[in-house]
Amino acid sequence: MSEDLNNNKTIQAQSSETISGGGSGISPDIDYVRPAEIPEQDLYHGHSFITKWVFCQDAKVIGIQYFLLATFTGIIGLILSWLMRLQLGFPGLAGFMTAEHYYQFVTMHGMIMVVYFLTALFLGGFGNYLIPLMVGARDMVFPYLNMVSFWSFFVAVGVLLASFFVPGGPTGAGWTLYPPQTILEGTPGHGMGILLMCISLILFVAGFTMGGLNYLITVLQARTRGMTLMRMPLTVWGIFTATVLAMLAFPALLVGALMMTLDNILGTSFFMPTILKAGEVLEYGGGSPILFQHLFWFFGHPEVYIVALPAFGIISDLISVHSRKNIFGYRMMVWAIVGIGALSFFVWAHHMYVSGMNPWFGFFFATTTLIIAVPTAMKVYNWILTLWRGNIRMNVVMLWCLGFIVTFVNGGITGIFLGNVTVDVPLSDTYFVIAHFHMVMGIAPLMVIMGAVYHWFPLVSGKFLDEKLGKWHFWLTFLGAYSIYFPMHYLGFIGVPRRYFEMYDSPYMTSAVGMNEFISLAAFIVGAAQFILIYNIVKTLKIGKPAGHNPWKANSLEWLTPTVPPEHGNWGERLPVVHRWPYDFSVPGVKEDFVTQTTAPSEIAGSKVEKT
Amino acid sequence: MSFLKKLFGTLAQKPWEENQVVIDNTHSGRSFNLSNQMSAVIIIFGVSTAIFSLIFTGYLYSLPPEQDTTFILKTTLVWVNTLVLVMVTFFFNKISSDLKKNLTNKIKKNLIYVGALSYLFLFLQLLLWYQLMKSGNFVDTNTYFSSFYIFTTLHGIHLLGGLFFWGKVSSRIFKLDEKDYANEEKNINALSLYWLFLFIVWIVFFAIMFIYNDAVIAWCKSLIA
Repeated sequence: MSEDLNNNKTIQAQSSETISGGGSGISPDIDYVRPAEIPEQDLYHGHSFITKWVFCQDAKVIGIQYFLLATFTGIIGLILSWLMRLQLGFPGLAGFMTAEHYYQFVTMHGMIMVVYFLTALFLGGFGNYLIPLMVGARDMVFPYLNMVSFWSFFVAVGVLLASFFVPGGPTGAGWTLYPPQTILEGTPGHGMGILLMCISLILFVAGFTMGGLNYLITVLQARTRGMTLMRMPLTVWGIFTATVLAMLAFPALLVGALMMTLDNILGTSFFMPTILKAGEVLEYGGGSPILFQHLFWFFGHPEVYIVALPAFGIISDLISVHSRKNIFGYRMMVWAIVGIGALSFFVWAHHMYVSGMNPWFGFFFATTTLIIAVPTAMKVYNWILTLWRGNIRMNVVMLWCLGFIVTFVNGGITGIFLGNVTVDVPLSDTYFVIAHFHMVMGIAPLMVIMGAVYHWFPLVSGKFLDEKLGKWHFWLTFLGAYSIYFPMHYLGFIGVPRRYFEMYDSPYMTSAVGMNEFISLAAFIVGAAQFILIYNIVKTLKIGKPAGHNPWKANSLEWLTPTVPPEHGNWGERLPVVHRWPYDFSVPGVKEDFVTQTTAPSEIAGSKVEKT
Repeated sequence: MSFLKKLFGTLAQKPWEENQVVIDNTHSGRSFNLSNQMSAVIIIFGVSTAIFSLIFTGYLYSLPPEQDTTFILKTTLVWVNTLVLVMVTFFFNKISSDLKKNLTNKIKKNLIYVGALSYLFLFLQLLLWYQLMKSGNFVDTNTYFSSFYIFTTLHGIHLLGGLFFWGKVSSRIFKLDEKDYANEEKNINALSLYWLFLFIVWIVFFAIMFIYNDAVIAWCKSLIA
C-alpha cells in the first residue's frame, strides 16, 4: 500500500517532537531528510551520434525528438488547413482541388492536429523533458522502453503520411472516421487510406502505452527524497493525470481501429449493418455503426482533457512564476485536475446527441457535461486570483498565459451552449461547433505550448528567445485567431454546415461569402506567423542571449540542475533533496522573491515561508 | 475503501504548512511499496482490462438475436485450454512459494512447466481455430465468431508478450548461483501476477462467450423443459 500513507503515523510522531522542540518551528531538525532508499539508476550513456541523438535513451532527448516530430506533423496539418481555407474562401482558386481532396484534407488535418500534434507534443514532448527533471529523477524508470515508444510514434507518423501516396489517397471520412461510410465505396480513401490510418493509430497507441507506463511509474515511484505528491508542480500533476486518462481512453481507439480494420479487410461486421447498395445487398450485416461512435467518443472526449490537463498544469506554473506569487488554491487545483480527469469518462455521448440515442441518455450526458464545467471554472478563477496583486512580469510568456485564459474562457462558454441538448441539436454540424472546439482545444492549448516554449527554451538551450519577435508572434497569433474563430460562431448561427466543399449559390447564406474570405485571409496570416517562432529559435541558437542558471528565478527542480542544459542523468553526483513545494514566491522575510524547492528551512530562518 | 481513504488523505495535505513540511521532509520519494516491474504489470493490467472490457461490451452491445453458435459447444478444447491455464496459474503459485523457501531446483523445474504449458495453450488455441474453420465458422461468419477470433487473438498476443519476458527471466535464472535467486524475486512475482491476470481474463471470456450465448441459453431451457 501507499508508503506515503503507511508511514504517516510514525512521521506524525516525529514531526510533533521536532516542532515542540523548535519553539518558532524553525530548528535544525526541520532540515532532516531520510537517507536515500531508492537505488541509483543504471543509465546507458550514448557514445556515438546514433546512440546519443537518434536511438537515445535520455528522456530529454526523447522529449525533443517528440517535440520536433510533432511540430513537423503539425506543420503538415497547418498546410492542409490553408488548402481548406483557400477552397472555402475562394472556391475554385486552387484548380487541383476536388471535393474528394477537400474531404481528405479535412480528415487528415483533424486527426493530425488532435492526436499526432497536440497529444504527442504535450505528453511525449513536455512529459519526457519535464517529468524526470521536475520530480528529481535521473531519467524515466524504463529508458529503453521510452526510446521504443518514440520510434513507434515515428513509424506511426510514417504510416499515416504514406497514405497520401497510395492509390485512392488518405481517408476522407472526416476525422471521426464514422462507419459504414468510411470503408464503403464512394468515400475517398476507403481502401488503403483508412487501412493505413487504422494501422497508424494502433501503432500510436502501442507506442504511447510504453511511454505512459514510464510517466506513471516515474511519477509514482522514482521521485527524489522529500518530493511528496502534493509537492509536485502542477505541470507534473497535469501530465500525470492526462497519462492516466490516455491509458484508459486510448484502448477504445485501439479497439475501434482494430475492429474497423477487420471490417475493412476480412469482411467482419462489427460496425456494419445490413446495407443495400444499388439494389444489391452487401455481404455485411448485424453490426452497429453507433457502437463505433461510442468507442470513438469514449476515447474522443477524454482526449480533449488529455490535451487540456497538461496545458492547465503548465499554465498554472507559468502564471505563478511570472507573477511572482504562489499559485492560488494549490490543493483545489490538484483536485480540479483529478476531478476533471475522472468526470471526463462520463460525458462522451454529448458528441452524439444527434445519433438517435435515447433522450434520457442525452439528459444524463448534458448534466455530467455541465458538472465538469465546475472544476474547470475553479481553475480559471484560481489563475485570475494568482495574477491578482501579483508582481506581474509582462513578458512574452505572460502574454501567452493571458491569451490562453481569455481564449479558454471563450471556448469553454460555447462548450456550455453545446453541452445542452436543446441548443446543440440546431447547432450540430455547423461552424459554431468548429469555432468552439478550435478555440477550446486548438488555440488555447497552442497558446500554452507557445508560452511553455518561451519559458523553457532557456533550459533546453541555455539561451533566451528574442522577446521582440516573440511579441510579434503573440499578437499576430492572438488577434488572427480571434479573426478566424469569432466570425465562425456567426456562420454557425446562420446555419452554415461544416464539412461542405462549397456553399454554391445558397440564397440563405449570402453573408457567409465575404466572411469566409475574411476568415481565410486571417488563417493564412496566423499560419505564416508561426514561422516567426521557427526563425526565432534558429536565430537564438546561433546568436541568442545566454540565459544562465534559473533565469526566471523559479523554484521547481528543473531549473536547479548543476549544468544548463542538463546532462544525461540530470543531477551530477547527488540527487536533489526537496524541502518545500515549488510555489514559495515573494515570501515575507526572505531576501529574494523566490525560495527554491531545495532550500533548507534553516537557510531562511525568520521567514514566514511555511505559513504562506 | 482504505485505498480511497488514503488517496483522499494525500490530496488533503497542505504542503505549505509548517507541520506538513516536517512530515514531507521524511518522505522517501516512493508512493507504493512495489518494485518497478510489479508497478508496470499492474499498469498493463489496467490498459488490458480496458481493452478486453471494451471488446466484451462491444460484443454484448451488438449481439444479434439469432446466430448459430452451436458448434462451439461441440468442442471440448475450450475446456481443455481452461484447464491448461489453471495449471499454469498453479505452477506459478508454487514458484512464488518455492522462492520464499529458496527451493531452487523446484523453481527451475516449475518455470519449465509454466513455459511448456503456455506454449501448449497457444498450440491448442490454434487447433481450436482449425476446428472452427473446418466446421465453416470463420471470422466473418457472424458477430459471435468475429468477437471470438478477435478476443482469442488478443489474448494470445498478450500471452506471447508474457512468454517473451518469461524467456528472459528464465534464461537469467538458469545462469545464476543459488544465492542470487533473491534478486530475481521481483521479476518472478511480476510474471506470476501477469499470468494470473491472463487467467482472470480468460475466465471472464469463458463465462461471457462460452457460457452466456444463445445456444447455451437454449440448451439450458431445453433441460428445464
